[in-house]
Amino acid sequence: MDFRINDEQRQMRETAREFFEDREVLERARERIDGEAVVDDLWADLSEMDYPALTIPLEYNGLGDDVLYLSLLLEEAGRVALPAPLPETLAFGAFVLDELGTDDQKEEFLPAIADGDRRLSFALYESGQESLPRDIQLAAAPTDDGYRLDGTKTLVPFGEQVDTIVVAARTGSGTGMEGISLFLVDAERVDSEPQDTLDRTRPATKLHFDDLIVDEDALLGTEGGGGSVLQKAMDRYTVATCAMTVGAASRAVEMSSEYGSQREQFDKPIGQFQAVKHRIADMWMATQAARSLTYYAAWALENDEPDAARAVSEAKLFCSEQLTQVFADDIHNHGGMGFTSEHDGHIYFKQAKAWETFLGTPTEHLDRIADSHEL
Amino acid sequence: MDFEYTEDQERFRQELREWLRENLPDGWQAGERPGTDDPEESVEFLLDWQQTLNEGGWAGLHWPEEYGGADASLLEQVIYNQETARVDAPARINAVGIDFVGPTLMELGTEEQKERFLPKILSGEELWCQGYSEPDAGSDLASLSLSAERNGDEFLLNGQKVWTSYAHVADWCFLLTRTDESGPKHHGITVFLVDMDQEDIQTEPIHQITDETDFNEVFFDDAVARDEHIVGEIDEGWEVAMTLSAFEHSMSDVFSIEQRWRSLVEFCREHERDGKPLAEHTHVRRELARLHTRIQAGKLTHYRNVSKQMETGVPGPEGSMDKVFNNQTEKKLENFARRLLGANNALWTDGPDDGQWVTDLLMPYGKMIAGGTKDVQRNIIAERVLGLPKDD
Repeated sequence: MDFRINDEQRQMRETAREFFEDREVLERARERIDGEAVVDDLWADLSEMDYPALTIPLEYNGLGDDVLYLSLLLEEAGRVALPAPLPETLAFGAFVLDELGTDDQKEEFLPAIADGDRRLSFALYESGQESLPRDIQLAAAPTDDGYRLDGTKTLVPFGEQVDTIVVAARTGSGTGMEGISLFLVDAERVDSEPQDTLDRTRPATKLHFDDLIVDEDALLGTEGGGGSVLQKAMDRYTVATCAMTVGAASRAVEMSSEYGSQREQFDKPIGQFQAVKHRIADMWMATQAARSLTYYAAWALENDEPDAARAVSEAKLFCSEQLTQVFADDIHNHGGMGFTSEHDGHIYFKQAKAWETFLGTPTEHLDRIADSHEL
Repeated sequence: MDFEYTEDQERFRQELREWLRENLPDGWQAGERPGTDDPEESVEFLLDWQQTLNEGGWAGLHWPEEYGGADASLLEQVIYNQETARVDAPARINAVGIDFVGPTLMELGTEEQKERFLPKILSGEELWCQGYSEPDAGSDLASLSLSAERNGDEFLLNGQKVWTSYAHVADWCFLLTRTDESGPKHHGITVFLVDMDQEDIQTEPIHQITDETDFNEVFFDDAVARDEHIVGEIDEGWEVAMTLSAFEHSMSDVFSIEQRWRSLVEFCREHERDGKPLAEHTHVRRELARLHTRIQAGKLTHYRNVSKQMETGVPGPEGSMDKVFNNQTEKKLENFARRLLGANNALWTDGPDDGQWVTDLLMPYGKMIAGGTKDVQRNIIAERVLGLPKDD
């Protein structure tokens, strides 16, 4: 057992940190908040570094790295609130393609993703209140040479900034894992409507499928048999968001530590007051704990460990319950400045809040953990 | 990064498991706890256990072979902690000697001191206590004042220590004294190894909130200490004391907390409320899940610290997190346990748990004071890890 990151991983992280700083990624997140289009240029930058190729298998021109490696990169991305669909494309899209795709589908998509020519996202929610993947209802009716998709999806991350969307639909009736089918849908073919999001670094889209006909070869995997891979993809995406949140939390701890050392009141740095100092120590501890859970979850997913699903839920639960507090504390430590849009704290806080309930509320994760212990 | 254990490590685990199965006291695994009612019997019992451990070669696990240890790697120590927690093995009565005094002597002691003291620490023939806190020197330990004054070829000790665990049964004390009052407080401290078998040393047991009396006030009235029992340099004892506390911080309670969680799960399966097992009540399930998450977080962070320590060779300030974080977990867990008892939570020794859960509930509140309060630990993190300004 060895919980160290190796030299190559360390090197990759350092390079990524420098690169994100050099390309002023956080500044671009702010531009995105102001409504500017940033994804195309940013994606070109990421492709320069081969980041979209990271987890694509070697035989499809990718780098063949694992989820853990991706998580380490995303931790760096989280420090600068990377406003691009990298988790969506790699942790979710490329994963389902690799798991369920036919040779033709893989050949069509994976090298294009690796080359930076194609971005992916996913359309899962319909009401935004339901429990996934169990409650997926969007209808996919078989036609002579394909399927007819009918219904509405909401909360599609970067829906208007990607090329292809993995759409979860139901073939047949009922609820539950059986009967869920996944389709690859060209984003341009769907009627879309942008949504204003709490975390404006990450846009979302509402998609209207009004009897949209897709070809047979849009189906990923077998008809009605996509549920379990969908769950795994959701788990991978969840770990990816945890990694970004952990990176953001480290940045929040740094900002609070720097401010605590510089800002003076009552003739001394405020970080000398234990009320502030101890709060920052607590922030650091929560971040460390979340990082441990996240790395383990990534490792467990990659190695198909029996406790992988639980590990994901534990990482997500902890990030949701404890790291949102870290961001709130950072805002508080900065006093009035903390409440201004100028201070970066709100960017991270809003992102963490938005993800807190995304693909599983804390309560749902608690229940999944309890189930895994056969309670 | 890899969470698998190697074959060698698994072999080590199996060997230890087998040894524990054969050597744990009769009835232990069925839940019998001999000697818990009578303090003297309890000490006797734990001394026996110490000897059993030593005969099995497990007592000085992390000690080098040249001092009779097993030279175990940090990971083997982790496995040892996991396995002994799993069977709730008896406490190691000479932990102060084995974990703290021994390693400090190996690092800073003279050859004579090593030869004289180390073997009897392992065998349990000599029990140790740690004379640190004083009535007016708690978190501000360096302001200690128990004086050691030169008197011919010996030193005379005068003053008082407090919260000294096992002082009433200890043979030797690792004692912090004041030898120079003229300079700054961190200077002028000297560490002596002091023979406790002197009439001029009196111990008074302290009645703890658990109803136990493990720790004591210790009064020194012209007691004697000798030159050859000084550890490190005279007046430079603060560094010696800090060496010791670095070793102290590399321990973790997380495995025994994990074991306690497992036993509570069993309890919840076996006990009912409103006609169904506690484990089927939604709030119980969720609370167990939340607690398990915290335990995992503490455990995995401990692994990360250990991995880092394998690289650097010394425990870092991360050990402070281990203490604070896992202590919070333990308090949450024990408070949850009390709520499982329903109104019977109001009972002590007449409760369904015979009072053991009361000790379990109260102990973590003491642990977060002993060896550096959570406030001291947070200062360590803030100053050494995060670079925040030091307290005035």
